[in-house]
Amino acid sequence: MLRAYLCAYLFFLFAPIAMIVLFSFNDSPALTFPIEAYSLRWYETLLSKPDFVASLVNSLKVGIYTSIVTTILGTLAALALIRMKGRYRQFFEWLNFAPVGLPGLFLGISLVTLFGLIGLQRSLLTVTIGHVLFTLPFFVEAMRSRVNYFDPSLEEAARDLGATQFQAYRRVTIPILLPTIVGSAILTFSLSFDELIITVFVSGNDTTLPMFIWSMMRRTVDPSINAASVMALVLSILVMAAGGASLWFQRRWAVAARHE
Amino acid sequence: MHHNIVELKHISKSWGSVKALTTVNLDVRKGEILTLLGPSGCGKSTLMRITAGFETPTSGTVVIAGQDVTRMPPEKRPVNMVFQRYALFPHLDVFDNVAFGLRLKGLPKAEINAQVSAMLKLVQLESLSGRWINEISGGESQRVALARALVNRPSVLLLDEPLAALDLKIRHIMLEELKRIHTETGTTFIYVTHDQDEAMILSDRVVLMNKGAIEQIGTPDEMYGAPKTLFCAKFFGETNILGGHVKSADARGAVLNLPIGEIEAPVGGLRSGSDVHVSLRPEAASLRESRAGKPNGPDAVPGIVEDVVFIGSRVVYKVRHASGTVLKCQEPRTAAGIRFGVGSHVSLQYDPAAIVVLSG
Repeated sequence: MLRAYLCAYLFFLFAPIAMIVLFSFNDSPALTFPIEAYSLRWYETLLSKPDFVASLVNSLKVGIYTSIVTTILGTLAALALIRMKGRYRQFFEWLNFAPVGLPGLFLGISLVTLFGLIGLQRSLLTVTIGHVLFTLPFFVEAMRSRVNYFDPSLEEAARDLGATQFQAYRRVTIPILLPTIVGSAILTFSLSFDELIITVFVSGNDTTLPMFIWSMMRRTVDPSINAASVMALVLSILVMAAGGASLWFQRRWAVAARHE
Repeated sequence: MHHNIVELKHISKSWGSVKALTTVNLDVRKGEILTLLGPSGCGKSTLMRITAGFETPTSGTVVIAGQDVTRMPPEKRPVNMVFQRYALFPHLDVFDNVAFGLRLKGLPKAEINAQVSAMLKLVQLESLSGRWINEISGGESQRVALARALVNRPSVLLLDEPLAALDLKIRHIMLEELKRIHTETGTTFIYVTHDQDEAMILSDRVVLMNKGAIEQIGTPDEMYGAPKTLFCAKFFGETNILGGHVKSADARGAVLNLPIGEIEAPVGGLRSGSDVHVSLRPEAASLRESRAGKPNGPDAVPGIVEDVVFIGSRVVYKVRHASGTVLKCQEPRTAAGIRFGVGSHVSLQYDPAAIVVLSG
């Protein structure tokens, strides 16, 4: 009984994904079984649309800019966390993660108001600012578990051996935290790449990939939408897998270090 | 000429209303092993961190090798430290850990190689040079930490409870090693510990600290044999402490009124009527057979054996006096084995010269 339930549950979870992947290779535009012939024509159609290519490029750009800015800001926040003690640290950690609970709608509207107030034209820049705000708490949260294990006496040891504070960061703290920083940066990229709600509010004339797919959905039931979704899916999976692998190696390394 | 390599003058440290150190004055002689000893929270670690430069004193001056370093950051001070949990760099191998300080100084590669190899040889780790830090044992980590600090030829080596994380057997081996390395390098060691055995085995001089101040400074023998305060007598090894008052006193000796009766102590300069504590080491006493309640002559206390603890080479008897006071007496185990059983009537003999009168 439970087994049947589990099968139904998994089917419910993955069937839509499988359907879209299958239909993206369907030669016929009709969304019906049985599929008679497979082809890549929808992918060709899609890649020949300049709008689609532009939106994909925009999403990659925003993802990369966001990852860079969030990584710099988030790493600095993590370095500050190492120095904080007890209750202050808990309070800061709570303050950092609290915005995750805010609805995207709220963040979107408040950003539009802010940009209007300071007279900033909506563009990929405003999208990047929005995405940095959205991803920063996740980045710091992902760094937190490693930072909690970081022994502050490592930095003191570096200072004791003749390193300035900056040299201690560069030669000791950052290299030790690097695997976690990379993992968190990848997580940031994939969050930014998928983001729709905030983007809809803060973007100008430039469209990102999720926006493009969304607008396609509203206009027609063009089967190339399946191909677009599959491409977005594959990219996300690739990035997540890279992040997961990096974090996995990192954890194994940390566990081994604690066993000494 | 500076015979004192470190001079701590009127050092005080407080965090808000919490006083960690109150007016500490301490001179460290060149080439000695000086131990800062005390219970946790006594301020010994804070004093070491002030010397290393990780904390700034609220008031007072730190002089190292004749130079006022009170406001100098840790990287500029001629001291190096061995941290409690070693703080070895996990992203570097053994060789690179030891080379860390020399690379920062920008020494040529050949010289770094030569110095690091020599240092690894001194701590007997040549064969582990290429190992990662998570691939070596606790004792080996300890040696790497020593090498990493000593390779910079510090004027003073600071050791912050370096053996606390090791098990007992390795701890004894490392104590021997520390003594050997001290002899071979001639570096001044300041060693922080809460373990009086480590302090006594290792030190030239011991600084006993209590509640942010220095309680007593002396050689291990002085600290054990001639404690000045009750705290010091209790901290070093087992002892019998008896509280009472001075009945009469002159320049050569005094009669003390104690729970076990009146005793004569060959200690001058006591004030008649004042309260005192005395310490009598268990090994300064011995037992004789006696009839119930009768001491055998002077300098003896009658009692009944209450408990016998056998510790291999030694036997500790707990003897209860009629007043309820229990005195410990420790004797070497003889060929005859344990001489008295529980319930035996005995007379506890002591050497009056071994009685130490403590202030307060």
